[in-house]
Amino acid sequence: MITSIAWKNVWRNRTRSLTVIAAVTVGVFAGVFAMAAINSSIVQRIDAAVNEELSHIQVNNPGFRGSSDIANVIAGPQKVVKVLDETPGVTHIAERIIVRGIASTSAGSAGVEITGIDVEKEQQMFTLNERLIPGTGSYFGTDTRLNSAFIGEKLAKELYIIRYILSEESFTTLEAEGVPAAVAAKLRPLENQRFTTEKKLTEAFSGLLTAKEAKLYGMKIKEAAWSYREGSKIILTFLDADGMQTGAAFRICGIFRTNNDFFEAMSLFVPRDELRRLTGMEEGQYHRIIARLEDNDQTDKASAAVKESLPGLEVMNWKQIQTDLAMIADYVNRIYGIFMVLILAALAFGIVNTMLMAVLERTRELGMLSAIGMNRRRVFSMIMLESIFLSIVGGFAGMAVSAIVIAITNHTGINLVKYAEGLEAFGYSAQLYPTIGADFFIMLTVMIVITGIISAIYPARKALQLNPVEALRGE
Amino acid sequence: MKVVEINDVFKTYHDTEVEVKAVNGVTLSFEKGDFAVIVGPSGSGKTTLLNLIGGLDQPTAGEIIVAGHRLSELKPSELIDFRMEHVGFVFQSYNLIPVLTASENVGFIMSLQKWPKEKRMARTDEMLQSVGLSDRHKSRPAQLSGGQQQRVAVARALAPRPQFILADEPTANLDTKSAETLLDIMEKLNREEEMTFIFSTHDVRVMKRARRVITLEDGRVVSDERTNHHS
Amino acid sequence: MKNYQLAWRNLWRNKRRTLITAASVFFAVFFALIMRSFQLGVYAKMYRDVIESYSGYLQLQHTDYLDESSLDNGFVLEQSLTEVIEADPNVTGVIPKLESFALAAAGSRTQGVMVIGMDPDNEQKTLNIKNRLIKYRLTPEATEALKGERMTDRTARLLDVFSGEAWTDEKSFITDLGIRDDDSAAVMPLFREYASLDNRYLTSADSGRAVIGYGLSRYLSADIGDTLVVMGQGYHGVSAAGLFVIKGIVSMPNPEIDNAFVYITLADARYLYAAPGMVTSAIISIEETGDKDLLQTQQRLSAACNDRLVVRNWKEMNALLLNQMEADNKSGAIMIGILYLVIAFGVFGTVLMMMAERRREFGMLVSIGMQKRKLAGIVGMEMLFIGLLGVMAGIAASLPIVFYGYARPLRFTGEMAKMYEEYGFEPVMPMLLPDTYYLWQAVVVLLILLVAISFSVRRIFKLNIINALRA
Repeated sequence: MITSIAWKNVWRNRTRSLTVIAAVTVGVFAGVFAMAAINSSIVQRIDAAVNEELSHIQVNNPGFRGSSDIANVIAGPQKVVKVLDETPGVTHIAERIIVRGIASTSAGSAGVEITGIDVEKEQQMFTLNERLIPGTGSYFGTDTRLNSAFIGEKLAKELYIIRYILSEESFTTLEAEGVPAAVAAKLRPLENQRFTTEKKLTEAFSGLLTAKEAKLYGMKIKEAAWSYREGSKIILTFLDADGMQTGAAFRICGIFRTNNDFFEAMSLFVPRDELRRLTGMEEGQYHRIIARLEDNDQTDKASAAVKESLPGLEVMNWKQIQTDLAMIADYVNRIYGIFMVLILAALAFGIVNTMLMAVLERTRELGMLSAIGMNRRRVFSMIMLESIFLSIVGGFAGMAVSAIVIAITNHTGINLVKYAEGLEAFGYSAQLYPTIGADFFIMLTVMIVITGIISAIYPARKALQLNPVEALRGE
Repeated sequence: MKVVEINDVFKTYHDTEVEVKAVNGVTLSFEKGDFAVIVGPSGSGKTTLLNLIGGLDQPTAGEIIVAGHRLSELKPSELIDFRMEHVGFVFQSYNLIPVLTASENVGFIMSLQKWPKEKRMARTDEMLQSVGLSDRHKSRPAQLSGGQQQRVAVARALAPRPQFILADEPTANLDTKSAETLLDIMEKLNREEEMTFIFSTHDVRVMKRARRVITLEDGRVVSDERTNHHS
Repeated sequence: MKNYQLAWRNLWRNKRRTLITAASVFFAVFFALIMRSFQLGVYAKMYRDVIESYSGYLQLQHTDYLDESSLDNGFVLEQSLTEVIEADPNVTGVIPKLESFALAAAGSRTQGVMVIGMDPDNEQKTLNIKNRLIKYRLTPEATEALKGERMTDRTARLLDVFSGEAWTDEKSFITDLGIRDDDSAAVMPLFREYASLDNRYLTSADSGRAVIGYGLSRYLSADIGDTLVVMGQGYHGVSAAGLFVIKGIVSMPNPEIDNAFVYITLADARYLYAAPGMVTSAIISIEETGDKDLLQTQQRLSAACNDRLVVRNWKEMNALLLNQMEADNKSGAIMIGILYLVIAFGVFGTVLMMMAERRREFGMLVSIGMQKRKLAGIVGMEMLFIGLLGVMAGIAASLPIVFYGYARPLRFTGEMAKMYEEYGFEPVMPMLLPDTYYLWQAVVVLLILLVAISFSVRRIFKLNIINALRA
């Protein structure tokens, strides 16, 4: 009964209550949405790391990870494969040869990690092949005299393999993409001119277009001019099994694009047998064996099991290899937890003020209630409930709004193009798809109720301090 | 049967440096069925005495015994429960809870006392009928006239069958017709339920109906007359 | 009685409400200041670190070098140009630099490195690399040996936590290992014995010597006295190879640089890469580094160069870092914005309550002859005072914390530190001293108040006296 009285009391002063509720709604919405945006960023990153870069479990000799010493091959690789096979949750296994070296073209060079892979097996384990940029070839599809290499876009750019040319085809693309004919016409003087970097192209067309046009269509122009001559060659230089410098020419069979600049710049994939032949390594020698699990959640258990069965080898899961991934989720959760607490604390001020007003303007009524027999506990509960109702109504409204907005933006995505460069350097996508777990809402509800309770303490105490005699005497 | 015993009670306030003897040695008792009025000029101590009887305040000296309970032995939190169980209040104004309907207001104390729903509803209906407001049971106080509000207040005060009803200037804000109606009802309840009524008032209309008039002056009883009035 | 006096007294009629509202403003301002101080402090430090240890404020480069930082975009630095640059009033020095990528090997390990060739005597006047020579280092051997010695339990435990770390100054070494003043006399000699090293810096006279980054030395397991094999591509693709004896080890603030830093003399670099007389860039050190002076100096010097050369500033050279910091900056600003939004609702609510409560009073005042203008002014002042109270309290409370954080920056240890380093940041959170950002908080609060005040002023002017008196 006290509950229903408290609820009705909240609505006595509609305007005042609605103001507070609106504040809570806005605050909660903002906090939840921001959290969802960041959360999704991390979820995307983890997915990418597991499905494109690392897979779930990696096994190699201790010390290999730091040095990439070619001589440091796994002793007893068959045993490793057997152990992995028998571990519950493991769906695929592949062995790799890894060598550090330099990739170069006549225009540039870069340090890379050359990974020799079993193409068919890895295609089942990774989605990297889906990241192939259309038109650059294939994931080890074509047959070729020379060795094939699958490289990242960043590396291709560093080696100046990717160029920017506004060909006739580019102009057709521009038209198809909706770039106005007038703007395209301005770009004609640049036709068939070869630009080695994106920057140079940008400088060139910025000179011909107005600032507004450059801003609006810049992205599309760059994309249309992006050009790569299929089958470009690069030279790979590295040390062989005997420590002698050696190398070979490779044909690029395809270029992939991910959100991780670092990965794109450092990674280069070649067929394992080719690499084995060039390095002079013996059959059955591998540097690293990787395994894919059915589910991310099985990671800790599975890798612990493998580790136990393979003492003497370094067994790491993706969380341990990229400790920052596991930690950053934790870290960000904590930061936003604090942020949410700050918001709720800020809201508490408003709630306290409102409740205080509500109590002080009811002195006579409270005096009367105490006179006719409503004891202190009930008065306290009533005030407390009023406060809780204020925060809960606002809280639920805020959560509802945020749920809707999150659902929408999850579909359409939020584009942070402006910060794409910086984000992708760390491996984060510049396209966010906000998402959040249900347990977050539960925890938030608890926090909101607590805020309501804490805000009510001072006003409730004031209510209890009222002496019925004085209260009844006059307001 | 003695419902209230007031034995040599004093109540002194310290208003900054001045000492105010609001009740200055009062000894009284009330019997069941009394329809008594306490009168006197402003500052005579009427309201204070009423507050003491109702357990809203503690005497500085002396003893008040209600239905066998010594009020001085009760702690403030116990006094609240005591009031709930034994005392009915009707104030000059602000008697009702604004957010509740008439019948919810009438049933309020019974809800606090955790009466089973049926019993409570039955008694509520009964009380509303006694005060002639059955048709307004769904109305909120803001939708009732002053007189109607006071009648609901009486119904509420009476519903849990307290030892007595204390009414502090219940008719002060009412026009004559409403006041008369209210007093009719109170007299009827006094007769039918043998409910003890103790008023504090300067309203002549009330005094005319009283069967016992106690006059206070400067905190002391100067006269205590029983009369035989018929309404 | 003056308007403001009346306004001030009115505030205290409802003391609680005034204080609570002011407290909410204080809350927002305080947290905003602390957070911004941290954020801006971190950015400032990062920029400063990269400028002082690597890029400098201005660099003379080939126009294509920024996009394609290869040796082929190097150039010959004419003495005449150097003189012109040095003659500029804001310039304090010119440091020619030849740098390129290479593979460095020691033992069986190789690592990609940046080989940087500069003249040490020249460079020391401007860059801050010499201060980064490490003084103490806890190698695994040192840690084991030290464990056998007597020391406090806490220090013994911390030995494990910090195993493998290096320090460039004694003070932070002592702090990190929790060595107290009274212990230090007993314990320091031990540490000096096991953990210090014979670390020297390059001089211009050196040949075949290198100073490398601490991360690199750990990676290659290469110590002072060991030989580094450096292989790469020289000018116009000529093969480049050389041997360098490690003379010194420095700890560079940015871990990415620290893991790839090989510093040799300019002469050695030119010989290694077969690029006589050439540089890839020339760092220009300047006196006045504020944005305005920076840009002006840049323009002047650029004008003095021919078509193929250009002067870049540190922002252009570290565009990626700036982009990342800006993204972080914006996200921080958004969070604070949300906080202020919430407070704004609170302030607004207070205004509503106050206006409702005093309607009768306002009606009475206007009816007895107070101009509505005057009344609105008084009420406006009341709101202003509340806001000012909150802002000043917030600023006052933040100052001691900011000053403390500036003097003794927060340092992360353990897991957090690791995470920061993996992303290429030093795990330190310094604070920025009061600056324009302090002003911004006041501005934001003022804006909030203005909205609230304009609302109340409108209400007062629309006040119908009769209705108000009936309230």
